[in-house]
Amino acid sequence: MTAVPILKIEDLRTYFHSRSKQAFIRSVDGVSLEVMKGETLGVVGESGSGKSVTALSVLGLIGAGPGVISGKIGLKSDRIQKNLLEGLEDFVKLTTRDGKIMEVSKDVLGWERNAERVMNKVRGKEIAMTFQNPASSLNPYMPVGKQITEAIRLHTSTKTEQEAKERALSWLHRVKIDSPRLRFDHYPYGLSGGMCQRIMIAMALASEPSLLITDEPTTGLDATIQSKIVDLLGELKSELGITTMLISHDISIISQLSDSVAVMYGGTVFEYGPTKEVLSKRGNSKHPYTSALLASIPSAQNITEKRYLQAIEGDVLDTINIPEGCRFYSRCSRVMEKFRERCAGHEPDLRETGSGHKVRCWLYFD
Amino acid sequence: MTKYSQVSGEIGEFSDLPFWKKADSVDLAYVGYGLLIVTLVIVSYILGSFNLLPRDPQDINLQLMLAPPGTAGSLLGTDFMGRDMLSRLIVGIQAYFLPGLLAISMALFFGTGLGVAAGYRGEKLDTGITYFMNLVDSFPRLVLILLVIAAFKPDIYYIMLVVGLTNVPAVASLIKGKIQFLKQKNFIEADIALGVPTSTIILKHILWHNCRSVLIIRATLGMAEAILMETSLSYLGFGVQEPTPSWGNMVQSGANYFMQGKFWPSTAPALAILFTILGFHLLGDGLNNILEGKRNS
Repeated sequence: MTAVPILKIEDLRTYFHSRSKQAFIRSVDGVSLEVMKGETLGVVGESGSGKSVTALSVLGLIGAGPGVISGKIGLKSDRIQKNLLEGLEDFVKLTTRDGKIMEVSKDVLGWERNAERVMNKVRGKEIAMTFQNPASSLNPYMPVGKQITEAIRLHTSTKTEQEAKERALSWLHRVKIDSPRLRFDHYPYGLSGGMCQRIMIAMALASEPSLLITDEPTTGLDATIQSKIVDLLGELKSELGITTMLISHDISIISQLSDSVAVMYGGTVFEYGPTKEVLSKRGNSKHPYTSALLASIPSAQNITEKRYLQAIEGDVLDTINIPEGCRFYSRCSRVMEKFRERCAGHEPDLRETGSGHKVRCWLYFD
Repeated sequence: MTKYSQVSGEIGEFSDLPFWKKADSVDLAYVGYGLLIVTLVIVSYILGSFNLLPRDPQDINLQLMLAPPGTAGSLLGTDFMGRDMLSRLIVGIQAYFLPGLLAISMALFFGTGLGVAAGYRGEKLDTGITYFMNLVDSFPRLVLILLVIAAFKPDIYYIMLVVGLTNVPAVASLIKGKIQFLKQKNFIEADIALGVPTSTIILKHILWHNCRSVLIIRATLGMAEAILMETSLSYLGFGVQEPTPSWGNMVQSGANYFMQGKFWPSTAPALAILFTILGFHLLGDGLNNILEGKRNS
């Protein structure tokens, strides 16, 4: 497959301002990612690592006040080629000191208007998104079928309501909802979480987007439904060849579905590369964080041998006070004496260690 | 008999039955009575405006002064000038019907607009609108009405203008609260992500699908309030002036003869007020219980 990136995020920074602490919460702090056409990019990381905020920033859904402050998001689909953060510099003024952002002043209204203009043709049409909580992401007082029909009418060239309805039904069928005709008129509260998730997926795909972002498609669902949703996503991927950015904290889902993986921690990408290399136990170059994550997955072997789960020491990074050096320094088990100064004092870059495999760790710098 | 159809799912029960079959019978009775009253009012309004009356309401007949109900030609009797009570009751609806509609549509229109602005945009705009609404709310309504009457003239439309404007804060806070509640569910965000235009989100997804029942309920209650306002002001002599009949001034002029045992000139309009307002209130209440499901939760 010739790798053409559909979405190219470059050095995205999304900060929020905490009024009580008078400081920035650096939720996304320099993320660079690429989603290749026809591929699934898995974004994995623990809570608060900035996965969802990255996705929301791509769609311009982060409220303007504090929010996206710098970076580039290039969208390159068949229909549109555009930087989604076009004109951002005109509205956001950054004051930096020693390479650190100290102050942000923003023309909120101007930026909002600009973002609306830029995103107008992108949302739903080019990039569609499904959200973490499917049951509350559907309008509670509107039959689900109507909501899908609306998406179809908005973004595709269906002429009549009837035609749109037929297509909506075929999508319901495609996401494996049993008796679609019956469910068409149901309200979200009458459907289970798994069904709502299917409806969300149908709604997102119905407008035939170039890129689908699924944010935690399996949270809040029980294990059997989870596996069914994963199967569904896998089938849709092989059938339709959709390009997906899959966000999850569940490594097993990511490893099943994605072609490449980005491991996020504390608002940056720690490791990025083909799934096989990043998530395999034998991978030759690996970030200590990824290894720790992999080690923390419960396995049948652990249970039979009555071993404790290996948790990662310490707490999730406080994104208000990001340390000088490596973000993972305080929790890292592989900090060696000879690296100590370097690990604590300077942040490593995301450096390529193999073909397409990048790691942000001093261990691999020599 | 309550029927439930079982579907796979853990989020609440789902029933395919139309809402009137799911509703409590008491609520249905409320709504039925309310609809009956509303129909009666509307029919009477139309009859009144086309002058299709048993007798001319202004026709003074001194032979028939204070004739008791059941007198030939006057079903509900006559008042102290021998004018037909029934015709006057029907024409009395003219006094509040259109002005009342004006008042509620004004309250709903501006209230919805401000509520959406405050709830959807939020932040500073919300603070500003809430302050303004509290300011409007803090004026005693009757004083405001008397002020307007004193400054201009005792016209029912002026009064209803004030009634409408003073009702705006209630509607605005209702809509604002609803939108803030809806915003916690992230379907609005999902709609934005889907590329639904803001106007569609507000008008269709929020107002039509989520707020229409509250607005209908608010409208019926608002109408009841407007009728009460009109009749009480007319009773006090500030509203509709004699000889134009209004239920309020009919009660007032009839009250003089109440102690003589001629109860009907005041009792008939008083009962009309009672049943009409009761009807609107019960309609609102019943709709509230049925559409918003207050009784079930």
